[in-house]
Amino acid sequence: MKDGRVARPDNMSVSNDADGPRNIGRASLLVAPGEDLGESEGHEAGHGVLELDGRLRATKHGRVNENGTEIAIEPLRTAYIPRPSDLVIGYVEGCTNNIWFIDIGAPFNAILPMSLGPGKAAFGGTRSLMDIGEAVLCRVQEVEETHSSVVTMKGMGLRKIRSGNIEQVDPHLLGRLIGKGGKALRQLKEDTDCRIIVADNGRVWIDGEFDGIVAARNQINAMSDDAKSTGVDA
Amino acid sequence: MGIPLVPQLLRAHLAELAENDQRHDGRARWESRDTELEIGILRNAEGSAKVRMGDTIVYAGVKFQIMTPYPDRPNQGGLMCSAEIRPVAGRNWEPGPPSPESIELGRVVDRGIRESGCIDVDNLCIIPGEKAWQVILDLFAISDDGNLFDAFALAGIAALNSAMLPEARFEMSDSDRPLPVSKTPIMCSYHKVGGRFVYDADGKEELGGDERIHITLGDDGHVHSLQKGLKGIFTENEFAEIMEHAQSRCKELRELVLETEEAD
Amino acid sequence: MGGYGDIQMIDENGLRVDGRGPGDLRPVSIETGVIPVADGSARVIWGTNHAVAAVYGPMEAHPRKIQRQDRAVLDVRYNMAPFSTPDRMRPGFNRRSREIGKVTADALESVVLLEMYPRSKIRVEIEILTAEAGTRCVGLTAASVALAHAGIPMTDMVVSVASGKINDVVVCDLNKEEDNYGDADLPMGILPNSGELVFLQMDGDLSPAEFQEAWDYNMEAAMVVHQIMVDALKGGDA
Repeated sequence: MKDGRVARPDNMSVSNDADGPRNIGRASLLVAPGEDLGESEGHEAGHGVLELDGRLRATKHGRVNENGTEIAIEPLRTAYIPRPSDLVIGYVEGCTNNIWFIDIGAPFNAILPMSLGPGKAAFGGTRSLMDIGEAVLCRVQEVEETHSSVVTMKGMGLRKIRSGNIEQVDPHLLGRLIGKGGKALRQLKEDTDCRIIVADNGRVWIDGEFDGIVAARNQINAMSDDAKSTGVDA
Repeated sequence: MGIPLVPQLLRAHLAELAENDQRHDGRARWESRDTELEIGILRNAEGSAKVRMGDTIVYAGVKFQIMTPYPDRPNQGGLMCSAEIRPVAGRNWEPGPPSPESIELGRVVDRGIRESGCIDVDNLCIIPGEKAWQVILDLFAISDDGNLFDAFALAGIAALNSAMLPEARFEMSDSDRPLPVSKTPIMCSYHKVGGRFVYDADGKEELGGDERIHITLGDDGHVHSLQKGLKGIFTENEFAEIMEHAQSRCKELRELVLETEEAD
Repeated sequence: MGGYGDIQMIDENGLRVDGRGPGDLRPVSIETGVIPVADGSARVIWGTNHAVAAVYGPMEAHPRKIQRQDRAVLDVRYNMAPFSTPDRMRPGFNRRSREIGKVTADALESVVLLEMYPRSKIRVEIEILTAEAGTRCVGLTAASVALAHAGIPMTDMVVSVASGKINDVVVCDLNKEEDNYGDADLPMGILPNSGELVFLQMDGDLSPAEFQEAWDYNMEAAMVVHQIMVDALKGGDA
């Protein structure tokens, strides 16, 4: 299958187009795997779509999006598959003498080599620098063809997460959380007086005063519940 | 069972929540999740129940078999409790032989029911020395989001309470009769989360929490079984607090079991 | 298969013991999201069959020896709960369950786009809570819905149903008595958009004409069940 665009939180509900989000106001067609999507002539198969015998077919359960000539599916539920330059929040699951294994919520753990880590230590000193169970904000550097990835902490703002709380949000709701042009997220930060970082792997770091953190979590849960009940989810 | 990763931040956050007398899902310290109980939902079982506590969902089924009594106890039948947490119930439940966790779960729930004496095995005789009823209670989890102990215990007693001895099917009489269950033991479990005990911990609280205590109480508030699990210590005061809550909560759940049976 | 031709299971009006006509399907209802902690899940109630299926993954394939470099593997388990049958089923290793797990995995691997997730595995857990004939079909159908619910890419969903023959009459969707005492059983796993097959077994005695009749019954029933599967997915979670 042609490796079309991987479902990414930042291009699901928020359009790259200057005119604004594409499918708002129009109920997008919900399809099941195997459903026919029309002739392939003049169209391209995007994410979740397969071309078979001159027709386009849905391979995932989700909403059909037309982006010019490309027909793609926005899945309702999806595993996080890492892409280079993704910002991710991970947990240290294990380490060897010079590598950390980071759980980023993908099918495979990411690798953080000492050279791209939080500092320098002697060979074997990995756990003293960053221990199992610690959380880290990092960026995906490269992804090999089997989807296992290398992450780096070298970069602006990348660091160990020492305080605050991390929430999990369904990837397809991240667009809603961020809002058009980032508006909803800005509002949330103001309302709760918290630092909030939304990572591409569906994890959200909230840091600030205790009450703010709780308020932010409540708002995020409310958004998820609202999405489910008003049928954005289904 | 696969050992899940415990994020340090989670433990720190749970501790801060505890200090502020809050829980991550907004519940009060002794508050349970939404609890649903249904009985008679498994057609091929002689007694059955389904319990849902938050996102934890379990089934209990009662099956009867004919057994030969032991020579030294010619009038006695048997009671067997078996608990299965199959991989269907969660990412960390791996296929293979029962894990120590699931064995402990089964045995703790079994003790709570057995030690209460709610099933009188002397009352299960069919033909002395030849035939007696064996009661088999199977506990089956399909979704694990914490506190399988209480879910299993509640489903188990509800299933037993509504079970019918299949005397008609086994051609012993014209109709089935209810399995005699003399009382309604109820289990309440408490986990230490962020440094204090809370009731009905969910998956996240179990992950970031520490030791746990399971208490089974009978109809009259009598204590029928206790179990402390995992490493950790607790004080007499902490235990007294838990016991106080257990007395009232067990009563509530007992009423739920009895009402559900009556309504059926 | 019985060959107990003496037991009358279809009367002079063509009505079966449960009141169905020869071509009638048992009532089927499907819900998604019934196992909240899973990545995808479904419940299928088919006659008095009651099955649930959960999907976890894709995830790293452990143990290493089951890993394939070029694609994902489906790790499928089919199990009958101890209380699912009138005589209790002892938990533990069961050859029949192992076989059904394997043929179910083979069927599903024919449609899942495995190449998208090399070195991974996708767990499919099928649990039969109440059994009443055709459980392998119910399980495979539930697994398809659960995979779709989990967002796993597939070329089509698999619909599975078993037709057969009782008292020399070909009938659609065997119930328990018919399965036990009938003369033939033909379970199939069908791709509704192409009519292709990914699963096929047969036991008993069918003439070429009877075989075709049973085949056609399965195809028709599959279309009906497929619509129920699609409606369940589009209808939102339980």
